[in-house]
Amino acid sequence: MSALSDLGERLRALLMRRREERELAAELRFHVESETELLRGSGMSEDEARRRSLIALGGVERVKEEVREARGTGPLEDGVGDFAYALRTLRRSAGFTTVAVLTLAVGIGGTTAVFSAVDAVLLQPLPYQEPGRLVRLYQPDSSNLDERAYVTPVHFLAYRSRTESFEAMAAMRTYSESGADVGSGEGARRIRLLPVSADYFDVVRVHPELGRGFQRQDERGDGTGDPAYTGAATVVLSHRLWRELLAGDRSAIGRSLSMNGRPFTIAGVMPQGYVDPVAGEVDAWVPLDLGPGLLPRNATNHHLTVIARLRPAASLAQAQAELDVLGAALDREYPAAVGRHARLFPLQGEVVGSSRLALELMLGAVGLVLVLVCVNVANLLLVRGSARAREFAVRTALGADRARLVRQMLVESVTLALAGGVAGIAVARLAMAAIVALGAGRIPRLASLTLDVRLLAFSLTVATLAGLLSGLAPALRAARTQPGDVLREEGGATTGGGRRGRLRESLAVAQLALAFVLLVGAGLLLASFQRLHEVQLGFRTDGVWTFELNLPSARYDTSARARFYEDFARRVETLPGVRAAGGISRLPATGMYHLWGTVARTGPLAAEEGRYNEANHRIVSGDYFRAVGIPLLEGRLFDARDDAGVPDRVLVSRALALRLFPGVSAVGQRVAGGRRESEIVGVVGDIAVDNEGRASPHVYHSHRQWAGERLWTLTQVVATTGSAGTPLPQLRRVLADLDPGLVAYRPMPLVDAVGSGAAVRLFTLRMVVTFAAVALALAALGLFGVLSYGVKLRSREFGIRMALGAERGAISRMVLRQGFAMAAVGIGIGFMAALALSKLMTSLLFEVSPLDPRVLLGAAGFLAVVAAVAAYLPARRATAADPRSTLQAQ
Amino acid sequence: MADERAGLLPGTLEMLVLRTLLLEPMHGWGLAHRIQLLSRDVFNVTQGSLYPALVRMRRRGWVRTSWRATEKNRMARYYEITAAGRRRLEEECASWRRASLAVNDVIGPKWAVEDL
Repeated sequence: MSALSDLGERLRALLMRRREERELAAELRFHVESETELLRGSGMSEDEARRRSLIALGGVERVKEEVREARGTGPLEDGVGDFAYALRTLRRSAGFTTVAVLTLAVGIGGTTAVFSAVDAVLLQPLPYQEPGRLVRLYQPDSSNLDERAYVTPVHFLAYRSRTESFEAMAAMRTYSESGADVGSGEGARRIRLLPVSADYFDVVRVHPELGRGFQRQDERGDGTGDPAYTGAATVVLSHRLWRELLAGDRSAIGRSLSMNGRPFTIAGVMPQGYVDPVAGEVDAWVPLDLGPGLLPRNATNHHLTVIARLRPAASLAQAQAELDVLGAALDREYPAAVGRHARLFPLQGEVVGSSRLALELMLGAVGLVLVLVCVNVANLLLVRGSARAREFAVRTALGADRARLVRQMLVESVTLALAGGVAGIAVARLAMAAIVALGAGRIPRLASLTLDVRLLAFSLTVATLAGLLSGLAPALRAARTQPGDVLREEGGATTGGGRRGRLRESLAVAQLALAFVLLVGAGLLLASFQRLHEVQLGFRTDGVWTFELNLPSARYDTSARARFYEDFARRVETLPGVRAAGGISRLPATGMYHLWGTVARTGPLAAEEGRYNEANHRIVSGDYFRAVGIPLLEGRLFDARDDAGVPDRVLVSRALALRLFPGVSAVGQRVAGGRRESEIVGVVGDIAVDNEGRASPHVYHSHRQWAGERLWTLTQVVATTGSAGTPLPQLRRVLADLDPGLVAYRPMPLVDAVGSGAAVRLFTLRMVVTFAAVALALAALGLFGVLSYGVKLRSREFGIRMALGAERGAISRMVLRQGFAMAAVGIGIGFMAALALSKLMTSLLFEVSPLDPRVLLGAAGFLAVVAAVAAYLPARRATAADPRSTLQAQ
Repeated sequence: MADERAGLLPGTLEMLVLRTLLLEPMHGWGLAHRIQLLSRDVFNVTQGSLYPALVRMRRRGWVRTSWRATEKNRMARYYEITAAGRRRLEEECASWRRASLAVNDVIGPKWAVEDL
């Protein structure tokens, strides 16, 4: 009796299980028959003898159970047996199994896909040391503390030198795309520069792997910098640029690199794969010129992105308190900047930004769907459990162990859940491919999305939990049932109501309520997206192409730059298919930029000297206004007369004209802003400052007059007739003709340049609409299942009613009424839930109230129609049957 | 399971089965009756509890089974003692005798409670 033979016997038992079962049954049959025969020999009746022999044996089922236990294959065999049994029963009811597995697959697949998106975008910590201590500083107006306002160089220097809570603090200029042209001729390319203050590398705790970073003394430019805001002519290269430009030569440190025609000393090379937490991929870092921070007039010049690392001992609240105290002191020192105190936010949240809400909403939607899936599967199992009540009753009566019945039910639902989980992984793969395709390039970090092992585990856990939870109630119910009750009910009861019916109905009602919430969410997003498309941007985007064009200061002096942008626009306008061309310092509807204090010097408000109005100032060249279709409302546009030789002239937008010169014509009036006083020569139409259509006052300056102010990299806009396709090859030829060293940087259609904020919304919308559709389908399925099962249970009652003369119409109305009652209750509860959740939605909506009556009514109507269809089919079946056959069948 | 074994000391059922099978191969029903007979009806063995015990004993190699026709020409599963079963029975019987002698020594000859 070695352990080996014991194991062999166990294995044999496992493999031979079916035969064993057959033999055991035969053996026990023989036993009972022999005993019965013996007892009959003593004069007992057949029935009595049989009864006594069963008692003497102790019940056939019970002996079987004990023998199975004694076979000693124990839990393993039980598990395998239950599993095999589950597979058998599931195969026997293919319809039920298909619906349940599909339901689970959709729920689990969706959950996994969205969990992975959330994981990739939200949950993965920033790839920097101790990312929890990284913060971002903003300098909002006291009237709107949540404003994400940039920091002025004056305040940055004060924060850096006069606080104790921070280990390091750095300013960078992410405010606009800054670039530089490197190389010349064929090899000329434009790279992305990030000007940073010296402590930048200490904040992120990533230092150059070769060479060194910057020193504080690098933060002072000599005034010849290009771009104008760079300090010392020294540069840190990204690993990629170092490889591509210098072939990864380690001796490159200390050598000179020509950027914009000016020599920069290569100070260092960053490690491979380093990505800036705010600006993303950057080709090279240059020192930021903090000279302007020493001039008090720059205390209202908000343009720096400031990040910092908290000291280990300092909490966010302590650091904020310290900044508040400092802010009060700075208010006294710089009266023009009163109330603009620094506010701290954890960097993690700031990087994810607006995507966070969208993703959290999606997570909520997925959660609802998962609950819906569980409810639906529970309902299916419950309906099935009721249908099998007789089977269980008989088995219990024959002595089967109740615990074992419960276990079997659970194994069955877990088997179901696992099958759903496997199918769900397939669905997840598809869904993730779809999510990546939908959000790629617009949602941060989504491109790195992959299905990993943790996700697989998550998916299976969800599947198993869903199975256990949805299997538990029906299993316990089946075990609690008194066999006698069920068997009696089978014979006599005619109405399928009772407690069990109510549970089923409340689950169906819950499904309807959940579906309603999802429908409302989808409807609201749909409505707000529609509004967004109706937004009046104030300019046209169709057929308009844009690209950045930088003129290196080494080769272009002030007057050459002024001339070049005008000449280029004129040359481009001669191309076939081009309507107009021009340039601007910042494209419309891409956010606030150069927000400068602007006051009226003449007119009714001239006396209110201190009144501070902010306006977006823009520098334009060529025929910009015609190119993007901004109408001239009064006066004239810029022309060749407005050059550096004459006093400053500006165009203003209608909103500014109305605000600064109420009741009078703005043309001919004078405004001050951007440290100059100018005469208004014309009024143009308002344009949106962001892609949500918010209008903001604008002041336009002519590049001819401002070329000397600083080095403007104007974004070129070229309006085409639209039929010829992309004008880029032609544009590049014109550019190469004029100067082969110039680069058309980041060319794209204008609609793409302004539309990226809408991308997050569209992404969210598509996800939520998909989930709503799934939820609706599940709810319809649930309602249909409950009603048709109810009809099946009551077929005897219906038969009797019809036999007693009830009209078919009355009976189907009764079933329909039941369906509608459930739908009404579900919609009512869903309505309450939607009310409660409306606050969460508000920030994602655009010009749509979260309680928009059209959406609420629409969702209710839609759900009612679906409920009607789901109720109609069972109602029809209820009356289709011939009453006689129904009654005979029982 | 506990209640029907209440009348038996642990392990005794197996000893009884092996002892009974020494006579001849037998089917389950026959075994149940023979044990009842041999033990002079002292042990009230529920017939059903025999089968799990038989399965355990077969697993340990003490008995082997085969399907054979009965005298009435019906198929029944017959149990037969193996060599290992005989050894086991001898060990069991020896230790049982030792134990019962020791117990008998302790409780002494027949006595009445009043004598103490």
